[in-house]
Amino acid sequence: MGESIVRVSHLRFGPAHKPILDNISLNVEAGHFMGIVGPNGAGKSTLINIIAGLTQPDGGHIDLMGECLTRSSSHRLLKQIGFLHQLHDHQPRLPMRVSDVVAMGMPGYAMPWQRSDHRAAIEEALTLVDMQELTDRDFRQLSGGQRQRVRLARALVRKPKLLLLDEPSAALDSVSQDRLFRLLRKLCDDTGMCAIMVEHDIAAISSHVDSVACLNRQIHHHAMKGENIPDDVWRAMYGEHIQIVAHDAGCIGCAPADEGEHDHGHHHD
Amino acid sequence: MTMGIIMIELLNNFFASSVMSASLLPALLIALVTASMSVMVMAHRLSFLTVGVSHASLAGLGIAVSLSLPLLPVATLFSVAIALLLALMPKRQGISEDAGTGILFAGSMALGIVLISTATTTRVDLFGLLFGNILTVTADEKLWLYLLSSLILVIMLLASRAWWSIAFDAVTAEASGLPVNALRLLLYGLVGLTVILCVKLAGIVLTAGLLVLPAACAWLWGRSLAGLWILSVGFSICGTLIGLIWSYAYEWPSGASVVLALCALFVASWLIHWGKSWQRTHAIKG
Repeated sequence: MGESIVRVSHLRFGPAHKPILDNISLNVEAGHFMGIVGPNGAGKSTLINIIAGLTQPDGGHIDLMGECLTRSSSHRLLKQIGFLHQLHDHQPRLPMRVSDVVAMGMPGYAMPWQRSDHRAAIEEALTLVDMQELTDRDFRQLSGGQRQRVRLARALVRKPKLLLLDEPSAALDSVSQDRLFRLLRKLCDDTGMCAIMVEHDIAAISSHVDSVACLNRQIHHHAMKGENIPDDVWRAMYGEHIQIVAHDAGCIGCAPADEGEHDHGHHHD
Repeated sequence: MTMGIIMIELLNNFFASSVMSASLLPALLIALVTASMSVMVMAHRLSFLTVGVSHASLAGLGIAVSLSLPLLPVATLFSVAIALLLALMPKRQGISEDAGTGILFAGSMALGIVLISTATTTRVDLFGLLFGNILTVTADEKLWLYLLSSLILVIMLLASRAWWSIAFDAVTAEASGLPVNALRLLLYGLVGLTVILCVKLAGIVLTAGLLVLPAACAWLWGRSLAGLWILSVGFSICGTLIGLIWSYAYEWPSGASVVLALCALFVASWLIHWGKSWQRTHAIKG
């Protein structure tokens, strides 16, 4: 049992009669890699934004690294968090080198009076995402996938204890996507970093993550590795329109192969 | 050969002229301050705000004239207030920022014109207020200029990286613990301050030009914040010098000459950049 990195208890967001998030409780430990899946509008991004301290919840309590997240503590706590959000500028306008973009992830970047040399850390973060050769390139001239990897390097350069990712694979092809999940897995195992990732495709992540939380307004199920996600959870999340497709064994939410075609793992609506 | 001699003579006369040498330092200081701010104006897309605030400052001057208060302090407070109001308005009322700027811009300019034209006690040169003149800066105004521009430059040095990362990605900046809203207010306030500082001395046209053109020239060449800033200051100082020399040689209005020089620099810079990238694509094809 590791140190608790995120502890969310009875979190509520939105009006009481029609909450967007209702009674969310989670406990994620160091080294744990958690996926959050759910349909569009389920509140996945809202939950990530609340944990990242960008949105104030209407009820409940959040502890980060064992400390209560409040207005006064957020400044300090957020320095230990890496966040990769979804609302990117698809046409970046500012002239910047790749290394400058990564340097923005350093906790003291905005404070020029705290001069220090970050070259080694930047180099290391770019190597993690296989971008070390493009250090001096103009960020605006990179492809969408390359930019996404640079943004990931920016989130990693501060060596966060908690990494929050909102659909990080949206701009990536399946090879890069797989490489990304492997990298996150490795970082969680080697450095004890905790990662929470929102993804819509459970099949792509299930063999990499330690657990999957099924979210639609509330957490319907929190499945650990090797555990099944029952049919009624899928129905509660996606309604009756889903078709359940059998998937390979050994991933979260998948039945052992001998249980037949009735079980699940991959959802389509 | 004779062209060269004429040029050297012109430059000698230019630097010997008492009007020019007295206004050279303030003009270069304005060039430095505005070029520094123009990088942030460009990064945060605030060029319309600078035009809006510079015109709105007329209302501040109008209030000062009709209540016979000191011109610059009142106009300064008014402009900063307008800029902050614009920073706060869109969120509260759901009005887009450019519509908000347009409304305040027209309204306060109208107010300024009415106030100034009814103030019969003092003869006020409306043309001078609108278009300013860098060549007629008084000692008092110089003191204001030195004070405020060092304040602006210090704040700029301390906050520029934070503003830069907000311009690049506001969500991540906020998630990494930066007080984004406070920093944005500070930026708007500082743009307001820069505008009013320059309007009274350089006029509305020159202020808006100086707050957009240097960074626009530099944008084609710069590859980082520091590079952009240095280039932007370089373009601004070149433009100011060329403009003042033109103004001296042909007796053109100084503000308009500087803006024209900067526009010429921008066109030249854009043409060279375009030519270079054209050459590069053709080199690859060939």
